[in-house]
Amino acid sequence: MSSSRPKSIVRKSSIRTALFGLLIFLAARSFEPYNQGQLAVTLILFIGILSIVILTGISGQISLGQGALMAVGGYSTALMIINLEMSLWIAVPLAIVSGGLAGLILGTVAARLSGPYLAGTTLVVALAIPSIANRFGSVFKGDEGLQVDVGYPPEWFVNTFGDPSYEMWQFYVALPFALISLFFASNLLLSRSGRVWRSIRDHEIASALTGVKVSRQKVFVFTISAAFAGLAGALYGLRGSVGPSTYPTSLSLMLLTGAILGGIRSIAGAFIGSVLVVFLPDWIDYAVHSFELSEQVSNYLPALVGGILLILTVVINPAGVAGGNHLHKHK
Amino acid sequence: MDTLIAALFTGTSRGAIYALVAMGLVLVWRGAGIVNFAQMGQAMFSTYIASTLIMNGYSYWLAFFVAIAAGALLGVFLDLVVMRPLSNKKQTELLSSQSMRSAVPVIASLGILGVLQALAGVIWAAEERGFQAPFAQEGYTIAGRVMPFTSFDLFVVTVVAITLILTVIFFKKTGVGLAMRASALDQEVAKLSGIRTNGVRALSWAISGAASSLAGLLLTPTSNLSPYTLDLALIIGFTAAVVGGLDSLPGSVIGGFILGFVISFVNYYMTPEDIYLAILAVLIFVLVVRPRGILGGKDTRRV
Repeated sequence: MSSSRPKSIVRKSSIRTALFGLLIFLAARSFEPYNQGQLAVTLILFIGILSIVILTGISGQISLGQGALMAVGGYSTALMIINLEMSLWIAVPLAIVSGGLAGLILGTVAARLSGPYLAGTTLVVALAIPSIANRFGSVFKGDEGLQVDVGYPPEWFVNTFGDPSYEMWQFYVALPFALISLFFASNLLLSRSGRVWRSIRDHEIASALTGVKVSRQKVFVFTISAAFAGLAGALYGLRGSVGPSTYPTSLSLMLLTGAILGGIRSIAGAFIGSVLVVFLPDWIDYAVHSFELSEQVSNYLPALVGGILLILTVVINPAGVAGGNHLHKHK
Repeated sequence: MDTLIAALFTGTSRGAIYALVAMGLVLVWRGAGIVNFAQMGQAMFSTYIASTLIMNGYSYWLAFFVAIAAGALLGVFLDLVVMRPLSNKKQTELLSSQSMRSAVPVIASLGILGVLQALAGVIWAAEERGFQAPFAQEGYTIAGRVMPFTSFDLFVVTVVAITLILTVIFFKKTGVGLAMRASALDQEVAKLSGIRTNGVRALSWAISGAASSLAGLLLTPTSNLSPYTLDLALIIGFTAAVVGGLDSLPGSVIGGFILGFVISFVNYYMTPEDIYLAILAVLIFVLVVRPRGILGGKDTRRV
């Protein structure tokens, strides 16, 4: 019994990942370059929102500072690519390490906090981290930022798969990382760690009484979640430049909005959320373009609709579009 | 020496405003158990109303009081439309965990902040605005030196002091204030002794909305108004509230002045960009050394 169980978890996660990869690949193939670029961003934000699902949805700790952790990943990758002339295929995975380290530090402080204290502290972190870029301008190049991008596909790739559009190449770069993240997240949530974290979320004291070392587990979740955020940040920065304006506070809030709208407790919800966050502005444009609204109105409409949807979701159905019950089969 | 005196003066007038922001946060935290991250969004909104009135030729004082009233109304509106339905929700599976119950209002308040900032963009095109208060902008001269303390700063300190004194009298001496303290202490017991806790909740939102609008009005003449300028004030106010103790009104005043001095000293002795890091340092220091704040109660977590 005990030996067959882990196998089934890995198999389940592999099937999920393969299915997701296949569907998203077919979708991207049929899209225009513009939409392919959007799909690449969707995959990147999917990783970022997964970090919130793990942290908030599964372990119950709220963070408004995921954008800052993304910045850590983005800056470390950009610095390695520019100064050490590393390939992005090495520099991006290293962002997992740098993000995780930042999460370890943040988590050590955050494990003592809960609820609004944690939310406020992480919000301050979200504002403070980008200001470091200006403080140490010689390394981080201040407001101007570091210029990095995904470059062009290597020759063997072009020879085997044909020459992709630049947007499609962005998609190809993001896809493997998104699939690895999906696989890991799925494994984590189905495994013992996931159940331990859920028990902390549902009742900290009861969880501690069953022998869970709550503080240590909280730091652990923070580290894992930050590793996801670091990876997402590295890929997010590769769209052109890594600077304070790449990772504003609103990015943290956008990730949280996506997580809530999609469903804070499920991987499917994370993907639905990332699709909503990326495509909603276009859908709104499409819906209102016949009304000839002034630029003043249409510029702020996506933010307005996003905010209203967030409030409505929280008040009416806090579980989000994807609901949140299918993960509880393993309770 | 000059810099030191200048920093002390600036710290005093800034600290008075931050005390007001922190007080607004503490009021809603005590009254409704929510840290209202939308608070300075509400203040931004009512300050925009004031600036529109001033631009259309109405007097500063009319705009001043209209904005404070608008802030109070907006606070009550948000409580009735968003926060009360949220707290009256049935215990679903998702909301049954203690951590999610405290996370959901935070997320709702961030949604409100987003909506208010976007609305300001739609209505006022997010244009930068500033307005002058009807006071002389030159600093007082003391012993032949011009101090960075204008008659407007004096006005700020006076108004804040009056507000704080009135709030203390309200809570200590009036029946409604007593009801508010009772429901902050124990919602259930307050209800059983005949206090309309819903009304008390709405009242805390109103007072908090008015106080933060006042803070917005007092901040605007020295820093221009845009939908996002007051975000910094929220962060500072939150830190001040945590420093003083999130459930203590006198604590919020102490915290406000501490933050005012810290920020003013960072401004004079380092670069303005260090403000964020200084705030983060203060916040983390307090949370590690004394997590419940200077005057905070023993434990605010309910088991």
